[in-house]
Amino acid sequence: MTKSSGRHVGIVGVGQTHHSRRRTDVSQAGLVREAVNRALADAKLTMEDIDSVVVASGPVLFAAVNQPEKWVVDAIGARGKPVVRVTSGGGAGFAGALAGYYQVAGGYSDRTLVVAYDKLSEGQLQYSISTLYDPFWGREFAVGIMGFSAAYWRARMDVLGHTEEAAAMVSVKNHKNAFSNPYAHFKKEVTVEEVMASKPLCWPIKLLDVPPISDGAAAVVLASENVAAKSTDRPAWIQGIAYCCEADNAPERSMLLSEPLAIAARHVYRAAGITNPRRQFDVVEVQEPYSCFELSYYESLGLCPPGEAAALIASGATQLDGDIPVNPSGGTMGANPIGAVGLIRLIEAATQVMGRSECHQIKDAKLALVQSGGGWANLRGCAVLSA
Amino acid sequence: MSLGRVAVIASAQTELRPAWRDAQHIDLISAVVTSVFKGTGLSLDDVDFIIDSGSDVLDGRSISNCGFLGALGAHHKEEARVEEDGLWSALYGVNKIRSGASSIGLIVAYSKPSESNVEAYWSSQCEPFYQRPVGFGQRAASGMQAQRYLGAHGVSERDLAELVAKRWADAARYGKVDIDSAPDADAVLASGDAATPLKRLMLARPVDGAVAVLLANEEVAMRYNGAPVFITGMGNAMDSHAFGSRAAGKLASCEAAAAMAYKKAGWSGAKAEIAEVSATSAVSELMAIEALGLAEAGMGIAATRDSKLRINQSGGALPADPIMATGLIRLANAAKQLSRPEIYGGEAASRAVVHGAGGVAMQSNCVFTLEV
Repeated sequence: MTKSSGRHVGIVGVGQTHHSRRRTDVSQAGLVREAVNRALADAKLTMEDIDSVVVASGPVLFAAVNQPEKWVVDAIGARGKPVVRVTSGGGAGFAGALAGYYQVAGGYSDRTLVVAYDKLSEGQLQYSISTLYDPFWGREFAVGIMGFSAAYWRARMDVLGHTEEAAAMVSVKNHKNAFSNPYAHFKKEVTVEEVMASKPLCWPIKLLDVPPISDGAAAVVLASENVAAKSTDRPAWIQGIAYCCEADNAPERSMLLSEPLAIAARHVYRAAGITNPRRQFDVVEVQEPYSCFELSYYESLGLCPPGEAAALIASGATQLDGDIPVNPSGGTMGANPIGAVGLIRLIEAATQVMGRSECHQIKDAKLALVQSGGGWANLRGCAVLSA
Repeated sequence: MSLGRVAVIASAQTELRPAWRDAQHIDLISAVVTSVFKGTGLSLDDVDFIIDSGSDVLDGRSISNCGFLGALGAHHKEEARVEEDGLWSALYGVNKIRSGASSIGLIVAYSKPSESNVEAYWSSQCEPFYQRPVGFGQRAASGMQAQRYLGAHGVSERDLAELVAKRWADAARYGKVDIDSAPDADAVLASGDAATPLKRLMLARPVDGAVAVLLANEEVAMRYNGAPVFITGMGNAMDSHAFGSRAAGKLASCEAAAAMAYKKAGWSGAKAEIAEVSATSAVSELMAIEALGLAEAGMGIAATRDSKLRINQSGGALPADPIMATGLIRLANAAKQLSRPEIYGGEAASRAVVHGAGGVAMQSNCVFTLEV
């Protein structure tokens, strides 16, 4: 898995909304249209040029419209075209890109539009997430996703000796980077002391370890090699992409390392010829639903040896001026329209290798790594993009 | 470089029951995931990826695939959730294999509407500002669709009742559907008003069940000691959400999906010998038959009486509609009719067309062509 043996697939156009806490001026369909219009304009195309559409959004309970792609279809002018929706919790946007990738790679289309969104101001977020748990065995004590995530981080603190400050450093870095992101809406620089002193929500997760709740949409146009040039002379080529899972009830499940992410990375790195991720990648974009997760991804993605993520963030290597910058866009700390975030990370990485990042262009970026995930930390994937 | 061919090499289906009271979702799913490999020489270890169809709304659970990953056999594999009928999951799986990235994929679809509010499942798909407040939903749409179709084509309610009776009889015989006694046409007409002019039994009956289909590339399919059925064409299309702005009396998006699939296959509906068609009502089954090019406009009922063209030998969706799995069950059934004609007592056939649908009044449609 992870790479087509035949047709190459490139990202040839991108677009995202200016995300915000609450968009009262547009419906879900209008929000989606904004991102689609921007991606089509960026790719120098109209909907006429698009063969198929993949819509991705978070759980439908987030915004109380079942199978919303059937509503959105008219707003984006895709009536009569192949339209399908994939969903995968927080990683929905990335899962949508994966489905679109295979439509092009498998010869079903030459150009596929992938659009992902969530309008979280219209639903009860943590209530919706709570219904993820088993109705008989899980819901009585599981509340939202934060308790589970706190347990994950606590286990790493206990076993690896990582501190709360290590996660706080991720928060500081990403908040700082988000400050220059034109699409971010939460713009506030914070210090380690401020993160440490912020209100505990579910210890050790504190308020400033947590991203905002956002309304937002993102879209990309994927194209086969033979039509990519019509849109750009510098696509972001997908060199490998995978999205793996682990069963919720697997007793051997590790709290220390994301095994599905490590598996996905192994496949993707093999396909893309990555043998030394720390040296080879110019830039990395990860989806960190809480600051602590970015640390576990460092290890699962092989940016540092297992257990050494706290040392990596402390070394400054993942800062903008470090040797392996992670989340120059600010990650989710600037905006978190959950179902769209995986696609936003893909866009931020794509624009880096296309040489036109709107946040912090990493000089001469040629090879980028993207990570995304969802579920209760059991759906995890990554992709490698090249210039 | 040419893209490879993809085959259906095996399938498994639970019995379709009005309510599987003693089985949870995971029980239905694991039943088909464990039995689909029987006789193939393959096991779950050989599977590269899982793609599944189910509904968070019907399941009463956000990201419901997350809770079923173990039962799906997906642990440490690549998994995707398509929140549409399982035929769209199969389409995804075929593309993945055709790309050369994978060789074997497992497609699973399941449904347990007995634990859910099916009317709410449909009405929550409706546009929230203008449609929902007036009570628009699947039944209203089906009734309006039927009135316009019957008015235009002179098909009678008894014609529909006879079609429904035939479908129930076939489902009891071939479809692995839990039926105590199949209704005759009089019983269908006496089943009560559901959505004028449709009677209750003229609407597809929601049932619980699960289905798994094993897809493989040509190399695996040829080594497999059975009769692979090749998927030679696929298409899908979605119509407008606004029911009132869709073309009356026909399924335009089904026509578009069928045109895509036939173009790739190099033949048309007139060449099909077997058809497995989804439907939300007896009338929409006729509309789908016409959209698939199996009959001229308004002549769908005649096609259902044609003894040479075998439409819905499994009984189709009217007696058994496990919402989200119905189209994938059509694929499994059509493949079986091609690979094992002796079960159905008919002559061997070489071409089949398969149809899946989603949305209120079948807004979205997916079509496969199969060949042996």
